[in-house]
Amino acid sequence: MRPGSEPKDGDIVRAVLAGERERYAVLVDRYRDRYARYAARMLGSADAAEDAVQDAFVRAFDQLAQCKEPDNFVGWFFLILRNRCFAERRRSRAEAPLEAADSVAAADRTDGGAETAERRRALQLALMELTPDQREVFVLKHVEGLSYGQIAERLSTSIPSLKMRMHRAYDRLREQLRDHT
Amino acid sequence: MLTLLALPLTLLGLQQGMAQRLAGRVSPTVAALVEQLGTTGAARGLPIDPLIQKAIEGSAKSIPDDRVAAAVRLVATQLDTAATALREGGPVSDTLAIAAGAFAINAGLSGSDITALARVGASPQALTVGLRVAGTLAALGVPRAENIGLVSTTLRSGQPAESLLLLPAHVQSAMANGSTPAAAAAGLSRAAAAQARHGPPPGRGQPPPHPAPPPHP
Amino acid sequence: MSERDFHPLVKQLLDGELTIADLPAELRAEGEEALRLLTGVDRSPVELPAVTQRVMQTLASRPAPAVPAWKRVMRPREIRLRIRPWVLAPALAVAAALILLIWPATPARPAPLVTVRFVLVAPDAREVSLAGTFNQWDAHATPLVRSGSTGVWTATLTLPAGQHQYAFVVDGARWVPDPGAPAVDDGFGRRNSVLTL
Repeated sequence: MRPGSEPKDGDIVRAVLAGERERYAVLVDRYRDRYARYAARMLGSADAAEDAVQDAFVRAFDQLAQCKEPDNFVGWFFLILRNRCFAERRRSRAEAPLEAADSVAAADRTDGGAETAERRRALQLALMELTPDQREVFVLKHVEGLSYGQIAERLSTSIPSLKMRMHRAYDRLREQLRDHT
Repeated sequence: MLTLLALPLTLLGLQQGMAQRLAGRVSPTVAALVEQLGTTGAARGLPIDPLIQKAIEGSAKSIPDDRVAAAVRLVATQLDTAATALREGGPVSDTLAIAAGAFAINAGLSGSDITALARVGASPQALTVGLRVAGTLAALGVPRAENIGLVSTTLRSGQPAESLLLLPAHVQSAMANGSTPAAAAAGLSRAAAAQARHGPPPGRGQPPPHPAPPPHP
Repeated sequence: MSERDFHPLVKQLLDGELTIADLPAELRAEGEEALRLLTGVDRSPVELPAVTQRVMQTLASRPAPAVPAWKRVMRPREIRLRIRPWVLAPALAVAAALILLIWPATPARPAPLVTVRFVLVAPDAREVSLAGTFNQWDAHATPLVRSGSTGVWTATLTLPAGQHQYAFVVDGARWVPDPGAPAVDDGFGRRNSVLTL
């Protein structure tokens, strides 16, 4: 390793597997925020995202030997996090408004404007009424900014089936927002 | 002409068949490439199965798309080379023979080796087996000259396909006893030539006895 | 349901494939409603600084990730491959009548089946499976069975005559060619084992 250069993911994975478990912290630091926003929008709050990301890193450590491409640790980690997000039990309706309130507080700090905060709260609540698949395609395209082609590659599916999912999501979101405003 | 009318329908069927086999197993980018190469290849008489197999293999091994695409393109090139080489040796256009020739090329043989085997004049089925065996022998380390010599002698002797199929096991067995691949192949060539001169051993039609398994440590 | 659904053109607007100016006049209001919906999208970054410490604390008391013993697998002394092919009764021809078109189709011929036993000695492996052209390279489709405590893993398959390529997959992670079989380049920097039946 050249002095001053960042160690590659693959090197760190191999080191951890060889027994240097403290090096795993480098991977956690490197990627804990990468998909935090995706998890927050999928699960409804930053707190839920924190739990999910933490659990996913622990699970990734347990299964580190099964990472087929150590140099693409982050892609493999995303799938573990994704599974964790999909497995999250549906929160009861009573809990949901509390979660949204947390994200409202965050929005106030970063953006200001009660109206924006209100719209964000409403949309996040509406998103939670979608199926996880529908919510995911919406989040990947409109929050993470991926193209349909990029989403198709990441999820190993076809663009037409993604569009079908997304268009159903648009209609359900419209329905939710009409009924609750 | 009926065949020309049938062409568009069959192209559609071909593409649907490919799409079906690839669906859910490879990324959309790779699938599109395979379908494109497969369709143009099929119009030239080339098999499509090796392309599909390589794409599925790459996906199963979690290889990034650009490397899978490169590997699929390489297979397409090898199929082209094999088809050309076979045509040089005679009017052979059997898709299984072409696939076998591509395998042999991937294992290290050249187009001229393929042509030499085609020139023996064996049936397409026998030639296909011969090409597969030649590729397997190359994978064992048998040098090209001894390899083609052994396979063409065996093909010429008119022995059943089983004789060809057992050549790699014979070579491995001899290697386990200390022979080099070249010497093993040469020894088998002499035996095959002798058989060609004196006719098949008594009990013809029976496959030769199975080789002993490699010795245990 | 259709009055409550967005018009397809408005959905294209939402997808970013059209602009509001592309919509016909009667859809402009719906288009603006759709764009207002999108203003509720929260793209603010989320930071989770506490995760690192919490993860490392959890891991402090956790067993090390199990390392596959592929290194043991590779020592030639311990590896034995026995293939015992014998020809069973040829299967009936599977192909129905084929229409010969302008490109030559594969002639229909009976495909004999051959029974093949795959053996791998890998005492420290937790699981071993077989992946190859005969099972779509599925690393989960064909597990080998471990016999007792000797670390000998076996699978017996009946395969059609022809050319097959394969490899063992050890502990779901390591693709290992068969040390006792001829090997060819797989095009991905690794080697596949060859089985010619």
